[in-house]
Amino acid sequence: MLLQLLVNGIVLGSIIALAAIGLSMVYGILKFANFAHGDFLTFGAYLAFVFNVVFGFYFILACAVSVILTAMVGVGCDYAIWRPMRMKNANRVTLIIISIGMALFIRNLIIFMWGADIKRYALPVKRGIEFGTIIITQNQIVEIVVAVACMLLVHYILKKTFIGKAMRALADDIDLAKVSGIDVDRVIRYTWVVGMALASVSGILYGLLANINPNMGWFLLLPMFAATILGGIGNPYGAMAGGIMIGLAQELSTAILPPEYKMAVAFAILIIVLLLRPQGIMGTS
Amino acid sequence: MMIEYLITILLIASIYAIFALGLNLEWGFTGLVNFGHVAFLAIGAYTTVLLSLHGVPLFVSVLVGVALAGAFGALLGIPTLKLREDYLAIVTIGFAEIIRLFLLNEEWLTGGPMGVCGYPRPFEDIITGDYNLFMLSVVLSILILCYFMLEKLIKSPWGRVLKSIREDEDVPVSLGKNVFVYKIQSLVLGSMLAGLAGSLLAFYLQYINPRNFMPIETFYAWIAVVLGGSGNNKGTVLGAVILFCFFSATRFTQEYVPLHPTQMGALRIMLIGLLLILFMMYRPEGLFGKKEELML
Repeated sequence: MLLQLLVNGIVLGSIIALAAIGLSMVYGILKFANFAHGDFLTFGAYLAFVFNVVFGFYFILACAVSVILTAMVGVGCDYAIWRPMRMKNANRVTLIIISIGMALFIRNLIIFMWGADIKRYALPVKRGIEFGTIIITQNQIVEIVVAVACMLLVHYILKKTFIGKAMRALADDIDLAKVSGIDVDRVIRYTWVVGMALASVSGILYGLLANINPNMGWFLLLPMFAATILGGIGNPYGAMAGGIMIGLAQELSTAILPPEYKMAVAFAILIIVLLLRPQGIMGTS
Repeated sequence: MMIEYLITILLIASIYAIFALGLNLEWGFTGLVNFGHVAFLAIGAYTTVLLSLHGVPLFVSVLVGVALAGAFGALLGIPTLKLREDYLAIVTIGFAEIIRLFLLNEEWLTGGPMGVCGYPRPFEDIITGDYNLFMLSVVLSILILCYFMLEKLIKSPWGRVLKSIREDEDVPVSLGKNVFVYKIQSLVLGSMLAGLAGSLLAFYLQYINPRNFMPIETFYAWIAVVLGGSGNNKGTVLGAVILFCFFSATRFTQEYVPLHPTQMGALRIMLIGLLLILFMMYRPEGLFGKKEELML
């Protein structure tokens, strides 16, 4: 029983972790909490649904289209909204309010276009594999593999590519990065590409795990923020670790708490971190 | 018929105006971002009706509801307000969802998804005529009272400190003000106003359930404040009236538009989101605000 919860927790945690990487990077580089991040996740899941079920694409192809389109929308938003606001030197509180407006807009655009009811991908239902007392579904295995692959890719980008190193430099000190000749706008656009692509992947995986509905990203928003703050804002590795920990805590809590209160577990962790260690477990002051 | 409809719109707009005035104190005057204002509306409403159902006098029930909303405001402020300003936004948005989960799942207390009904309303047995008309007069008096109290507070030295926190926190700090305490006070008072609006909303609805306290309610208050001009009490009240006139207008057009009610609802919220974005980008002072008074 406990072992099953552990498996479920790692699966949920890796999905939260993927989404939290993008949230944390944007938070670190652009210095604002993007409340629309959860709804971009939903958006990615729906795009894959539309190409898969409505247009009849192969599932993998539909996912690829969704990842590319979601990343493009992210860059488009930077051109239309975030960049002009950077030019104006906007207060970050203003940016938060814009992001919540965006969240409301995207979620309701989805409801307007595709309705409020639950959707599923056109995939055959496969039986889970039994390992002694626990059952692991094939989807769960796929989810773990994809999540680990994405995390390794992020690691490679951050450590080995020029743009990744520039991202880390920007998160550290944006002015220092500017004077050393880094094209800040370009790096920020790539940050959106990485963040939004991961949000789309994470939305698709969550859609596989549970189902697709307009509120799926909204329900992951609080766990994502908890993971981001737990791991230290702007630290992608912290976001990964934080995501896994939040996912584990949420699933393990169902052993003693009603499952409806999973979100309250993330909330409780968030409050404890803010009270005891607001810089996060991996942050330095 | 027409006049009854008008009374209803005015009544609900006034209740939401009180709700939005609370947010305006927090955001408009102090610069605090509260994305979970609806939690305090819910706390006020449920506390009032549950206590009065258990025989507590109505007036006392309202007071306890208001006090409890204020106490929760303080509880949320303590872990967040000493840190970055965006933590309050994250924590309040989470808190509002957890309150709603609590209302949905603790059936023994809150009736769960079915909610609570059959609770007493003030002077119900004395009023013989149109109850909503009586209630409108009560709510309007409370609104006017709140408005003048807030105006007086804002013009006091206390209010000037709040405004200076909004503009540049370093200034009041350098003058030796304990900014944290002022922020907590603003959050508590704003939450109490939301709690009061919640009690009034419960009396108007006669039946409350968790669906009355969805996250979008918070953003009705936000759009009222942003439309009217953040930090402008008169604008906030006008913003609430405009919002509810708009809502009833779209309800009338429902018959003539070939859209599903769900789609109409979604379209309404899309418009609210879009207005929030556009106003914050191009006209942060709102429809009636003064630009030189608001630096964002």
